[in-house]
Parts: sequence; C-alpha cells; structure tokens
Amino acid sequence: MSRKDLTLRAIFAAPLSLFVLSMIGLVGALLGDGLWDWLGSALLASTMVVLAWVLVTRRRR
Amino acid sequence: MQTRTIRAWTWVHKWSSLVSTIFLLMLCVTGLPLVFTHEIDEVLLSQQWEPANPAGPRLNLDQVLEVALSRHPGEVAAFMSFDEDRPVVNVTSVDPNGQAGVFNFQPIDQTSGEAAPLVAGHPVMEFLLQLHTDMFLGLPGMLFLGAMGLLLVTALVSGVVLYAPFMRRLPFGTVRANKAARTRWLDYHNLLGVVALAWLLVVGVTGVVNTLATPVIAYWKNTALSELTAAYDVPVAAGERAPLDAAVKSAQDALPGMTLQFVAFPGSSYSTDHHYAVFFHGDTPLTTHMTTPALIDARTGELSAVAPMPWYVKTLSLSQPLHFGDYGGLGLKILWALLDIATIVILVSGLYLWLAKRKKT
Repeated sequence: MSRKDLTLRAIFAAPLSLFVLSMIGLVGALLGDGLWDWLGSALLASTMVVLAWVLVTRRRR
Repeated sequence: MQTRTIRAWTWVHKWSSLVSTIFLLMLCVTGLPLVFTHEIDEVLLSQQWEPANPAGPRLNLDQVLEVALSRHPGEVAAFMSFDEDRPVVNVTSVDPNGQAGVFNFQPIDQTSGEAAPLVAGHPVMEFLLQLHTDMFLGLPGMLFLGAMGLLLVTALVSGVVLYAPFMRRLPFGTVRANKAARTRWLDYHNLLGVVALAWLLVVGVTGVVNTLATPVIAYWKNTALSELTAAYDVPVAAGERAPLDAAVKSAQDALPGMTLQFVAFPGSSYSTDHHYAVFFHGDTPLTTHMTTPALIDARTGELSAVAPMPWYVKTLSLSQPLHFGDYGGLGLKILWALLDIATIVILVSGLYLWLAKRKKT
C-alpha cells in the first residue's frame, strides 16, 4: 500500500452510513405506522439524495 | 489485499453476475410496474359496485357456502376468504375428481347471495406477476429464480469486497467523467451498487425466501399441523361436519381482537383432514402481515388448538412486504421504483464493463 491509499474506514464510511440509514428505514417502516412510514421512506431516500448530490457535484470533468 | 485474493473475488463477482444478469434484468423490468400493482389495477379496473342490501341482514357463512356450492354441483369447498372493504365472502371450491390445482373462485355478496364482481388483477399485471414469480414454470421456475437470487447476493458480497481495492485512491462518490467510457461506467457501477446495497440485499434475500413459499407451507402442514391430528384416522366426510358459522365464532372467541382472514376447509392445503383452520391476522403494523390459525374440530365445531405459526412461516410472512415494498405508503413505493431503475443501470453497466474488457484483451 502506498501512503496515498485511503484506509478501509475512509473507503467505507459513507457506504456504511447509507447502509445503516437504509436498513433503519426499511425495517422502521415495517414495524411502525404513521410517522414511521414517513421517517422510513425519508431514511431510505438518503440513498437517492446522496446519488443526486454525487451526480451534481462530484463528477470530474 | 493481495492480487491473488482480488483475482479470486473478481472471478466470483464475474460469474455470479454473468449467470444471473439476464434473469435479474427480467425481474427488475417486470418488478417495476408490479410495485404499483394496486394503483394500476385501481385505474384500469375501477368499477363501482354496491351490495344488494347494504343495510340488510347478512347471510351466515353456511348459507354463503350452500349458495356457492349449489352453483358448482359436485365440488367441495377448499377456502373461504373475506373482503375487507365490502361485504363479500369469496368461496374457492374444487372438483375432488378433477385435475389437481384447478379451482373455482366465487365472490358472493353476503347481503343477497348474488355473485359479486371479481376483484382480480388486470390480465397484463397478472401476466407480469406470473413471469416475475416462476416464468410460467411452476415450482421449478420459482426455485430457479430463487437460485438466481442467491447469485445476486453472492454478487453483492463480492462486489462490496472488490469495492475496497477499486476505491483505495478515490474519495467516495468520485465519477471520473473525463476519462474513457469504461472508467466512467466503472465508477457509476461502483457508486450505484454501494449506494443501493442495503435495499438490494433486503429485496434479494426476501425474494429468495418468497420462492420457498410452497415447500415451507408443505413442511409446516406435514410437521406442526399434523401433530395436532393424531387422534383421528379417517377424514371427516362433508355430511358429518359441524356448522361453519359456529366454528368460526368459536375461533373468534379464542382469538379476540384479531381480524378474520380466511378459512381453510378440511382436506385443503392449509388445513388437516379433520379441522376447519380459521386464520386471523393482527392489527399492529407488524402482526398485520402474520397469520395465526385456530383449528376447529370439524366434527364437533369445538376449538382444538390455537396453532401459532413457527418461525419459518413468520419469516415467510415478513418477507413478502419487505420484497414488495407495499408497507409504507406511496413514498416507499416510489423509492422502490427508483432503486429498481438503479439496479437496471447496475446490471447493464456490469454487462457493458465485462464486454468492454473482453474486447480489449
């Protein structure tokens, strides 16, 4: 590994956060009702928000 | 990670994906409209229907059964289910000497005994559902798609392992749009895959569980359910049965506060040869997906047992909403559709990356 390599933690920090948020959303909407349906959808929507953010700001030209 | 290790994981990722891609694409394309089945059916098949005597007295279940069977002489009842939003009882009957698996389904207006319109899916949606479930190949088709689902899970795990070496110099979310198409699509493939990972795993694993529905129910019937029937050896004849209405009432008394869902008649696939199995579901978000049967002795009409479902049937019950995405309102369904589209992009870009690499070498 060269010194410029990212650590595993740096590589997986964002993916793992998204994974946890999505999982809480997916299961939360199943276990809860009303507010939880909204919250669950919102947590799962974090994937789409991040995707939109990446496509708008992270593309190198 | 050592080069040899990376090579091995690449091999796993490549082959688990290549074998399953065409089937996963089919599942994504058919699954996309299926997410909105309820909404589409409502638009395509909206028909106003009123019961004959909305305020009038309702036929009891034995009367409904008699009416239904009089329209199909020689058949016996297999199931009876209850619509939640209209006073309609659905009777499923079968010809005991006929071809296996051929059923007659009759919705009956409980206020008059007249036939009520069928609330079935639109033929196009039914076609897509069948393609998505078993490709018109019955149980073998279902299990085959389950195997494709296992390959998807394999591809996801190997994909995550390979994500690390591919991304070791690139901050999260980097898309090298200025580089060659292959590099650019590799970045999109990695990004979409890792972003949609949790959803893909949940939908993939629950999809695999759903393909096991038939063997799981058969196992439950042959083990947990058959233990309750040791006392009898001759199936109860139709003429010896206790009244159905009273049987359902004693089941309701045993499970107060739960909602009646359906009745399986003696000898049918969800009951024993000796019982009415009366199924209820709960009313919390979680228990509404899970059924509990009360077994009523068909000879005496008395409660034999409340038989809570074993863990593997409960797992199956919970796998259905988690696969269909129909448990959290329209917002969740829209996310299901978007993530489905993301999956299509992942599959197609993966295929493209493989083809482009082959051309190069």
